[in-house]
Amino acid sequence: MTTSQDHPLQYLLRQLELYSDLPDQDRRLVLELPYRLRRLDAGSYLVREGDKPTQCMVLASGYAYRQKVTGDGSRQILAVCIPGDAVDLQNMFLDVSDHSVQLLTAANVADVSRETLQELVLSRPAIGTAIIQLTLVEASILREWVVNVGRRDARERIAHVLCEFAVRLESRGLTADHGFELPMTQEQLADATGLTSVHVNRVLKGLEADGLISRQRRHIHFADWRALQDAGDFSRRYLHISDHDTLAQTY
Amino acid sequence: MLDVHDLSPLVRRWSKHSDLSAQDRDAILALPFTRKVFGKDAYVVREGQETTDCTILLKGFAFRQKLLRDGGRQIISFHIPSEFVDLQNGLLGVADHNVQSLNRCEMAIVPRSALMDLTASNPEIRLAVWIDTLIDASIFREWVVNVGRRDSRARIAHLLCELVFRLKRSGAGQNGFFDFPLTQEQLADATGLTAVHTNRTLQSLRRDKLIKLNSGMLTVLDWEALCEAGDFDELYLHQQV
Repeated sequence: MTTSQDHPLQYLLRQLELYSDLPDQDRRLVLELPYRLRRLDAGSYLVREGDKPTQCMVLASGYAYRQKVTGDGSRQILAVCIPGDAVDLQNMFLDVSDHSVQLLTAANVADVSRETLQELVLSRPAIGTAIIQLTLVEASILREWVVNVGRRDARERIAHVLCEFAVRLESRGLTADHGFELPMTQEQLADATGLTSVHVNRVLKGLEADGLISRQRRHIHFADWRALQDAGDFSRRYLHISDHDTLAQTY
Repeated sequence: MLDVHDLSPLVRRWSKHSDLSAQDRDAILALPFTRKVFGKDAYVVREGQETTDCTILLKGFAFRQKLLRDGGRQIISFHIPSEFVDLQNGLLGVADHNVQSLNRCEMAIVPRSALMDLTASNPEIRLAVWIDTLIDASIFREWVVNVGRRDSRARIAHLLCELVFRLKRSGAGQNGFFDFPLTQEQLADATGLTAVHTNRTLQSLRRDKLIKLNSGMLTVLDWEALCEAGDFDELYLHQQV
């Protein structure tokens, strides 16, 4: 198990299998994709807005975020990519990237040729279906983020983002001890929720004072998971992983 | 233009971003569908519903939305004729948001299985569907930016630019004005503002002679200034793919 787990594309394969039953041959084809592994520092750009992507990158470890910068220079974070995510499936059939992707932490990134992947998904319908589903789930998360920044107050926004992060990490067996290491600064949390970092700081303190979370540096512990979900108006349906709750146990 | 077939506008739109053969086009036109009329504000898809159909908007305007527990509503996108309004839901199996008609709409309801069969046997059509969903996602990203980091004037101007750009691409607005049935409340729900704020912003865009908006008709008086006000760059609509 350990050797196949260590294969960077194993992460991608595991995600695809959430959405589609892949025949053995397809599983093999995914794992046999040629890739190049790179170690990159926090802050490195994986994709820049306006680029013509030639690679599709898989995060073998580490975290990244999608972002756009407005005309007046303020930044909005659009999504957080967690270990195992394929970063530019969104760009796979669009010729120019409409946003940038930057690393939140140091990471191991596996580069797969975009052209090779395109050929694979078009020639193998089961793989294609799985990848479409993955990108649709990302789109669903984006819709929820429009709601989050558009119509929720500051406390709900932050609580919602924390819940989402926890459920996504849990689905990949990446949470421990009812909590997780938040790989984001308060400024980055602010950019993800359309708030100021001062506001984020105040909200986090409030959530802690009310006994919903406890914090130690960047470790967030869920002192009251149910109350946190309630505070964030959070329901996991939009993550489309409710059928896979047992995933954490199979890790 | 008079279309002999209800699905011709879809074929025409897909042909702009995908390389469809005559055979592909015929296969799309041969999709089975039921034509259905929806009154204003009717629900086409409800959150939580299992999806058995994929719906193409033929006439009118529609929008996606989510409701909050406190009764608030966030509109997530607007749709114009020839667009699928629920491909996102249709392919995932369970709807994670609502789809509503904005005014009187005509829709072509295609059984999900028929669309799945067509895309399974036909790579070019599968790619066309795929590109549609990727462009949808790009628009969602831009909307996160819009509500997250733009001020109210930029938000409204941006939304107007997007809609005008898409309407123009679909061949509407030949006379210089657009059929624009959105209420101020709907504009507010799409931009995370209050209706009062939206009203004030629209008035300022009118006063600055960027737009004219009355009785459901929108005229853009100064496109460049409107784009500037809305921080609008069409890249995210991916019309050159």
